[in-house]
Amino acid sequence: MGRIAVTGTSSFLGARILRRLVDARGADSVVTVDIAAPPAAPGGVRHQMLDLTLPGADQRLVDVLQDEEVDTIVHAAFFTSPRRDSSYAHELESIGTLHLVAAAAAAGVRHVVMRSYTAVYGARGENPNFLTEDRRPDPNPSLGWVRDKLEAEQHALAFAKRYPSMGVTILRFATILGSGLHTFYSRVLAKRVVPVVFGYDPLVQFLHPEDALAAMEAALTKGPCGIVNVVPRDALSLLTALHLAEKVTVAVPHSAAYALADLAWNSGIGAAPAGFVDYARFLFVADGDKAKRELGWTASYRSRDALGAYLAYRYPEKAGSMLEAEA
Amino acid sequence: MKVVPLHRAPTRSRRAAPPRTDRDLRARLRTVEAELERAKAKAAHPEGVLVTLARLMHAGTRGLSWASLARLQSALYFAWHSEDVDEFGSDRRFTETLQPLFEFLYTVWWRVETAGIEHVPAEGPGLVVVNHSGVLPYDGLMVKLAIRQEHPARRDCRMLALDMFALLPVLAPLLAKSGSVRANPENGERLLNKGELVGVFPEGVKGVGKYFRERYKLARFGRGGFVRIALRTGAPIIPCAVVGAEEIHPMIAKADWIGRPLGFPYFPITPTFPALGPLGLVPLPTKWSIDFADPMDVSQYGPEAAEDPILVNRLSEEIRSVIQRMIDGRLARRRSIWFG
Repeated sequence: MGRIAVTGTSSFLGARILRRLVDARGADSVVTVDIAAPPAAPGGVRHQMLDLTLPGADQRLVDVLQDEEVDTIVHAAFFTSPRRDSSYAHELESIGTLHLVAAAAAAGVRHVVMRSYTAVYGARGENPNFLTEDRRPDPNPSLGWVRDKLEAEQHALAFAKRYPSMGVTILRFATILGSGLHTFYSRVLAKRVVPVVFGYDPLVQFLHPEDALAAMEAALTKGPCGIVNVVPRDALSLLTALHLAEKVTVAVPHSAAYALADLAWNSGIGAAPAGFVDYARFLFVADGDKAKRELGWTASYRSRDALGAYLAYRYPEKAGSMLEAEA
Repeated sequence: MKVVPLHRAPTRSRRAAPPRTDRDLRARLRTVEAELERAKAKAAHPEGVLVTLARLMHAGTRGLSWASLARLQSALYFAWHSEDVDEFGSDRRFTETLQPLFEFLYTVWWRVETAGIEHVPAEGPGLVVVNHSGVLPYDGLMVKLAIRQEHPARRDCRMLALDMFALLPVLAPLLAKSGSVRANPENGERLLNKGELVGVFPEGVKGVGKYFRERYKLARFGRGGFVRIALRTGAPIIPCAVVGAEEIHPMIAKADWIGRPLGFPYFPITPTFPALGPLGLVPLPTKWSIDFADPMDVSQYGPEAAEDPILVNRLSEEIRSVIQRMIDGRLARRRSIWFG
């Protein structure tokens, strides 16, 4: 069995899956490939310095993968929240993934496990209540953050098709709430006053980090199975989540919400650009059946538990009063 | 020679003339006293009136903070919402809160009369196909309530709500929380596969947004999507006719130029709306009847029949005519819109 290469080791999922792999298989079975050494790397893990955005990164990566006898890659180098520097995000996520899968195919890697997001489906009024993996993603075209993820997925799928020796698993995770993980929702939950869209209250899914890691491990043991939704068992209404978190909500009519969101984002106080208003209006709840069937994985925490655990971590002084049911 | 003076010599002091009389003295005393009072008041509140007011207001609202506002909002929200919803977003406490209003509409306002409730299966999946009318989707609510109240199994019928309602602000969460589900084939099939009772309005917008003059003439039944989900899941189809809902908001005209920019597919003009303002939103108290017909078993055709457009259209047309016949029968027997 070859080694497992992990990218994005400074990211929430990357760092944690690295630790798990080291604990389970030993430090020699893992190699990290990243632009910087992992901040808290477990001892003995070899690190290969590599910038996926540079021209020629694919050639260098082929050498690295062959030298290290890598047969599986965990690709977690993605931004979890929208960035103002969207061109770098595009280079890293879309082009970086292109370099990565090209190198993986050339180096004879057997399996690429890639992190993705249920947000790529797009929050649309037309969505069915449960989005399955064969649903064509239709996100708001103005959202570069989502577009880059989709492009990355498409590069991976295209290479897997062209090189049958290489399989991919694309794990579309629901919103993970965890310590040190910055997402659209964690930014919203960090504020005291949260704008909501007047007259809308969509269902949202929150994934517990433990569940996310368990799904990642299941994918590594199972082998390639294409796109798989990794979601909790249930959903929560957005207003319920915000009120459980004791936020002051301010309702903004949707006709004004997009312009105001862009204004806030451009002036540096907003949590996300205007396209994200969609996610506060319409649902993008994904169906977890395929994960159960093919990975043999089901979430052990509900959305509510994930939110409760996150709030208890964020606001330890209030943890008692806020979610009694959590205990 | 005359000397022209450069400065007029002061003839008299600018200061007020010293008081001469008793009355003058008293007036002077009063002004001095008033000045003294003002000075005293200023000494007591050196910031001035505005600052004092602000200080008072702050003292009055000292108990208020973002946290208390958040707790207040949260308490208000959870007073009529539960913390958990089912997988389609239906909220039990929300429904229970609104239940008295719905029951009032059902028993008192529209005095709904049902017939053929025994045709609704007591268990397993079933697709209740209903004619749509009434501008606002009250008919779905009443069919749901009819099955809940009159059927011995007290079944819950999940109504598939039209996209146009499921996308509108306020109405969208209201429908979802009271148990409706957005109408699309995926949702319908999922519910039927779980063995639930599902209600559909195949006429869609064409039905609910009908002019008053077109009342009780069934519009086209979409493209037979409801037949396809019944074929795929093998669920029986139960035709259902609602009479009375057509007259609750008699739409005599549509003002699309108002509706479109607001995101409504139509803006209804009825004798009472918008002339009477919000009062025009009160539906008229007509007498309703809800009839269910024999279930139609489509499982004999098998799931692959869903790909046969000719068969799908034929079945769809068959169900349409059953419902139209039920409506015509009721109308022939009805003597009054208000009393049945």
